[in-house]
Amino acid sequence: MAALLLFALLLPSLSIPISYMAGRRSAGKAAMVVLSFAILDLIILSSTLSEVLSRGRYFESYYWVPVLGSPLTLFVDGISFSMAVMTLILIISSIVYSINYMGERGSLQTYYALLAMLTVGLVGVFISSNLMVFYFCWEFMLIPTYFIIGGWGYREPYRAAFKFFIFTHAGAVAVLLGIGAIYMLTGSLDMSIAKGLLAEAPQELLYWIFVAFTLGFAVKMAIVPVHVWLPDAHAEAPAPMSALLSGVIIEAGAYAIFRISLGIVLPSMASASMVSQLLHALSILGVISAFYGALTALAEDDIKRIVAYSSISHMGYALFGLSLFPCAEGEIGAVLHLINHAASKGLLFLNAGAIMRQTRIRDIREMGGLAPKMPLTAISTAVSSFSTAGVPAFACFMSEFMMFMGGFQLGSTDGFYYATTTSMIVVTVFSLAYVLRFYWRSFLGSSKAERIEEVPLLMEVPMAILSTIVVALGVWPGPLIELINSSLKV
Amino acid sequence: MIGTLEVLTPSIVLVVFSILTVPVIGLIKKRGGRCRTASLAWILSPFFAMGAGIFRLYSDYYSQAEKQPFVQVFLVDGGAVGLSSSFLVDAVSMYMAIVYLVFGFASCAYSFLKLKLEGELSERFLSLFYVILGSTTAATFSGDLLTLFIFWEASAAGSCFLIVYGKKPEAIEACLKYLVMIVIASGFIVYGLSVIYGLVGSLNFWTVRDSLASLNDKNLLMLAFALVACGYAIETAVVPFHMWLPDAYAAAPSSSSAFLSSIVDQASYYVFMRVLVHILTPPLVLDWTFALAVFSALTMSAGNLFALAQNNVKRMICYVCVADIGYNLAAITSVKPLGLLGNLYFFFVGGMTTALAFMVVGILNDLGFETIEDFSGIGRNYPTTSLALVVAALSFSGIPPLAGFMAKYMVFTAALEADMAWLSVVGVLNSVLQAAYLIRLVHYMYAKPASKIRGKERVDVLLPVYALVALIIILGAYPSLALNAAYPAAKQLELLLP
Repeated sequence: MAALLLFALLLPSLSIPISYMAGRRSAGKAAMVVLSFAILDLIILSSTLSEVLSRGRYFESYYWVPVLGSPLTLFVDGISFSMAVMTLILIISSIVYSINYMGERGSLQTYYALLAMLTVGLVGVFISSNLMVFYFCWEFMLIPTYFIIGGWGYREPYRAAFKFFIFTHAGAVAVLLGIGAIYMLTGSLDMSIAKGLLAEAPQELLYWIFVAFTLGFAVKMAIVPVHVWLPDAHAEAPAPMSALLSGVIIEAGAYAIFRISLGIVLPSMASASMVSQLLHALSILGVISAFYGALTALAEDDIKRIVAYSSISHMGYALFGLSLFPCAEGEIGAVLHLINHAASKGLLFLNAGAIMRQTRIRDIREMGGLAPKMPLTAISTAVSSFSTAGVPAFACFMSEFMMFMGGFQLGSTDGFYYATTTSMIVVTVFSLAYVLRFYWRSFLGSSKAERIEEVPLLMEVPMAILSTIVVALGVWPGPLIELINSSLKV
Repeated sequence: MIGTLEVLTPSIVLVVFSILTVPVIGLIKKRGGRCRTASLAWILSPFFAMGAGIFRLYSDYYSQAEKQPFVQVFLVDGGAVGLSSSFLVDAVSMYMAIVYLVFGFASCAYSFLKLKLEGELSERFLSLFYVILGSTTAATFSGDLLTLFIFWEASAAGSCFLIVYGKKPEAIEACLKYLVMIVIASGFIVYGLSVIYGLVGSLNFWTVRDSLASLNDKNLLMLAFALVACGYAIETAVVPFHMWLPDAYAAAPSSSSAFLSSIVDQASYYVFMRVLVHILTPPLVLDWTFALAVFSALTMSAGNLFALAQNNVKRMICYVCVADIGYNLAAITSVKPLGLLGNLYFFFVGGMTTALAFMVVGILNDLGFETIEDFSGIGRNYPTTSLALVVAALSFSGIPPLAGFMAKYMVFTAALEADMAWLSVVGVLNSVLQAAYLIRLVHYMYAKPASKIRGKERVDVLLPVYALVALIIILGAYPSLALNAAYPAAKQLELLLP
C-alpha cells in the first residue's frame, strides 16, 4: 500500500524550506511553490477517496515513538476526508488570494513558508488517529498563526496574536492532560484502541477527562465564555489568514470534540444521567454562543469584526448540533455544518478583505453603493452572506435544517431539546438581520467613495471558486451527506 | 570485564587536558601564526578523547548488560567492599555521560568562539571547564555515596570559578552566595551520610539500599533523609533554597551560564534522582513521594512567577531554569519507568534549551541588550540570532514540533501515572504561565519598534547555537532518537521496583 497519507502530511513540511529559499528573489515564486505543493497534496489526499468509499476508512501506520506506544497512525474516513479536502481547498484559495492581496508587503517568503507550516498542522489534525500525533499537529498550528497574525496583521496585530496564542495554548494543555490521562488508563494513544479500553476506567475520572478535552477544544472553537481571543485575532489578521482561522482552525476544535470528546470518552460512560448532563451543558453553551455572536455582530460596525462574531455564532450552532449526540441527523448536521461554514465563512472573510483592500475602509457605516463598482465581489459576498444567514439553496441552510430536525427528534424523548432547538431557530432570525445589515450597508444604497475598482483577477478566482462550492453544497448536498453518514455507521 | 581505569578514562582524559591546556595554549600563542586553528584543534580534542572513552565503555557495557545490568567496579578488591570506593555503570550513567559530552562540546565551542582567544584569558577558563566536566562525569559513574559526594562537590566548587570568571562585582557577590550555600549543603550531606553509615555500616549504593529496606525503626533514617535531601535540594536549587541560582547564573559570563545550566544543573538533578529513586526507593525504603511533589509544585510555580516579574532577560532565563527543576522533580516523584524516561529526556532537552537560551542571550548582551525593553525590535535587526531565541522560548513553552513538547508531555503523564493528578494540573497551569511570559518576550522582539542597531550580527558564534537549534527541531520531530537511548534505563528501573 502506498504511503499516501504520510505524503499528504510531509509534503507541506517539505515546502517550508523550499518556499523560503525560492521566495528570497521574488515573493511570487514562494507563492507558486506553496501553491503547487498544496495542490499536489490535495490530489494525493483525493486519491484515497475510492478506498474511503469502498471500505469506509483508509489507514496507515508508521514507527514514531515506539517506547511510548505512539506509532504514527494516520487515517481518513468520510468525515476526516471531507474536512481535510475542504481545508486544502481553503488553503489553496488563500494562497492564490494572497498573491495580490499581500502585494508588496515585506518578508513575504517568510509568510508563505509559515502558510506551508500551517498546512502541515491543519491537514495533520484531520488525518491523525493517534492522540499524540493529533496533539502534535494541533499545537503545530500555533507558531505559524501567531507570526502571520502578528507580522502581517492590522492595527495592533501582535497584541491580537498574543491573545490568540495564550488562550489556545491554555486550552491545548487541558487537552494534553486529557491525553495523558487516557494514556495512563489504557496504555495506548490510538483513538480506536483507547476507545475500547476506556470503558473499564473509573467513571469519575472519565467525567473529568471529558471536561478537560471539551474545555480545551471549546477554546479553539471560541465558545462563550472562552471566545475572548477570537474577535481580535480574526479581525486583525490579514484576510487570507482570517479565512483560514474562521474556515478551518475553529472547525478543527469542533471536529476534535466530535472525534475525541464524543467519539472516545462519552461512549465509555456508563451513567446515562452523567451523559445527558454533559450533553445538556454543551447544548446550552451552544445556544449562548449562537445568541451572543449574532447579537454582537448586529451591534458591530467594523466589517471584519461582524464576520468574526458571526463565526462565534456559527460555532454555537455546531456545538448545539454536536450536543444532539447520538442522534444521527444531529451529528451529520453538525459535521456538515462545519464543512459548509468553512466554505462560507472562508469566502466571507475573503470578501471582506477584498472590500477593505479596495476601499481602505473598515467601518460599514462609511461604505455603501459598492455593488456596481465591484460586481463580482458583490455577487460572491451575497452568496457567502446568504449562506451564513442560512437562506435555502445556500450551503449552511441544509446543515442547520438537519440539526433542527435532529433537535426535534431528540426532543420527543428529552423535552430539554425542544427548548434549545427553538432558541436556535430564533437565532437564525438575528443571523439574517446582521447579514442583511452588513450587505445593505456595504454594497447597496448610495455610493460614498469615489474611484473604487474591482479586485484583480487572482483575487477574483478564489472567490469565484468558493462561491461555486457554497452554491453547489447548498443545492446538491446529497453526496457529502452520504459520505459523512457512511463513516458514522462504521 | 569493566575495570576502574575504563570507567574513569573520560574523566582522566579531561583532567589531563585541563592541566596541559594553560601551557599548551600559551605556547601556541607565543608561536603566533595560525594560532586560532591550532588552539581550536587543541580545545576540541579532549572531547574526541572523552567520546572515544565513553564509546568504549558503552560498547563494553551493552555487550553484557543483559546479564548484569548494574556493573559495580571496586577500587579495592576483596573483603572491604563495603568501605571501598566504587563506581557504578548502568544505563542511566551511560546516558548521562553522553549528555555531558554533547553539551560540553557545544558550550566549549561556543565559549571559544565568543571569548576569542586573544585578549581574554580563555585558556584558564577552558582548563576549569574540563576539570569540572571531568569530575561531573566521575560523579555520574560513582557507585557509593561518598565517591558521589566527593566528585560532586568538586564540580560544585569548581563552578564558583566559572561564575566569578567575568570579575564583575555582582558576580563576586553571587559567587560568595553560592559558595556559602554549597558549604552549608555539603555540611548537611556529610552529616546525613554519617547517620546512614551508622545505620548500615557502608555507603555503597546497593548495600545501603538493601540494608535500609529491612530496617525496622526508620526514625533515624528520616533524619538522615531530611539532611541528605536538604543538602542536595540546596545544590539543585529547589525552592525555597533557590536564591543562589538566578544571582549566580545571571552574573556569570554567558558561556559559564550555558555550561552550568546544561551540565552542572542537569548533573545535580541526576544526583537527586539517583539518590532518591535508585537508593531510597519508595515504598521499599522510605516514602518521600508526596513531600517531593509539594516541593515540585512549589518550585515550578515560584520559578515561573518570578520569571514573569523579571525585566532582565538573562534573569528570566535563570528563573526558567528554576521552573525546569520543578518539572524534573515532578517526573522523579512518579518513581515509575515512564517517569525515569521522562526525566532522562528532560535532562537532555532542558539542558539543550537552557544552554541555547543562555548562548543567544549572551550574544545579545555583548551587543548591549539587557532588559526586555532593550530587546524591542531585535527580531528585525538581528533576524538570525533572534530566531534561535524564539526557538528556545517556544521549546521551553512546550510547543510542538520542538523538543520541549515531548519532555513536558512525559513529565505530566508520569505525574498522572503516580496518582498525582493535582501535580500535573499545577504543571499544566505553569506551562501556560511560562508560555505567556516567553511569548511576551517574543512579542517585544518582533512587535515593538526597533531600538537602534548596535553592531553587526556575528556569524561564527551562531554555529554552535544553530547546531542546538537543529537538535531541538530534530528531537522534536523524532523524539525516539533520545528516547531509545534512555529506554534501557527505564527498563532497568523495573528491576528495582517492588
